[in-house]
Amino acid sequence: MSAPAFEAFLAHLYVDATTRARFLVDPTGEAERAGLSSDECQTLSRFDWVGLELAARSFDRKRQQTLHRAGRRLGLWRRVTRRFRRIMGTAAQEGSP
Amino acid sequence: MAAAAVAAAAAAGAAADVEDELLKDRVGIGWRPALAAAILSSLDRVDVVEIIADDLFDVSNTELRAVRTLAAQVPCVLHGISLGLASAVPVEALRLDRMARVVEAVQPDFWSEHLAFVRGGGIEIGHLAAPPRTDATVDGAARNLERARSVVGVAPLVENIATLIEPPGSIYDEGTWIQKVLLASGTGLLLDLHNLHANATNFRFDPMQFLAQVPFDRVTAIHLAGGKWIAGSIGERRLLDDHLHDVPEPVYQLLTEAGARAERPLTVILERDGAYPPFDRLLAQLDRAREALAIGRACAAERQAA
Repeated sequence: MSAPAFEAFLAHLYVDATTRARFLVDPTGEAERAGLSSDECQTLSRFDWVGLELAARSFDRKRQQTLHRAGRRLGLWRRVTRRFRRIMGTAAQEGSP
Repeated sequence: MAAAAVAAAAAAGAAADVEDELLKDRVGIGWRPALAAAILSSLDRVDVVEIIADDLFDVSNTELRAVRTLAAQVPCVLHGISLGLASAVPVEALRLDRMARVVEAVQPDFWSEHLAFVRGGGIEIGHLAAPPRTDATVDGAARNLERARSVVGVAPLVENIATLIEPPGSIYDEGTWIQKVLLASGTGLLLDLHNLHANATNFRFDPMQFLAQVPFDRVTAIHLAGGKWIAGSIGERRLLDDHLHDVPEPVYQLLTEAGARAERPLTVILERDGAYPPFDRLLAQLDRAREALAIGRACAAERQAA
């Protein structure tokens, strides 16, 4: 079994709606087209179809969130540093240890 | 002579205090931009802060020094989310180099990552996916963890992940697979109790039996979080670990059990990624965690005394 190829197949399944739709109709055929061995195709006979739908939806949502998160990351620590200095400055003025 | 004796006693006392601190359980929270001000104003109630390492990959050296300043005021740990170590595919050197830079700059108490794969065939999945639980991924994870140790200087703790799908192609159950990875790699475990609760709920196994399999001499960190039910198109519901809800009571019960079993001090982190309640409610969850952990520790002490 080529584990990297199997992982690649799963990644496509989780991310690509077209691949998923073809897999739902013909799981073995789609797996064979992806280059999986007959043993690997066999392991897909007991498949968690409910989980596939929910996982794909969740992964899609996370990909969208990651795009937004990347934009907010810049400048984050500059803002934190300024806030931290203000708090430590206030504490020093009040005589806190 | 008297002065030297006093100084030596003071130094010994200080060293003992440090050692006592290192032997204590700690409860803290994940660092998030929206919570930063509240966390900084509540350091008397937050023992430790967990920073997402990936947020620091692209920051300047100046900004990394700012994080180091924070780490000097409150114990910090780092948590990676994108290495994809539990894979038969070797982790990319560039990604490990970026992690090494951040670990070197921040000097955290420890760093952690997930037992997940996040990409394959040139595709980024976008989040943590449970790999097929096979010997190939056990071996792959062990190799990647050794590479991580070599590049970063210290291996990460590895975290059990939540999954909405029973990993295709698996031959081991989750507990067995995790044990094999820990044995093969020699690393420690960050035990995420909401991930355990979600998986046990979704795939109908007993989380207490799972905990009975965990090598607790390897567990030094714990995650707590909350989630919600989601439904598919044919109606079956599954529990999603979304980090947007309060920690549910069953997870505190698992924390008590973990506290009774853990042989080493624990760093417990509350993960909250959004839908933030008033910060006092998050602090109350930290206090609840302390209470649950203390009950577990007391049970263990009673058993030992008996």
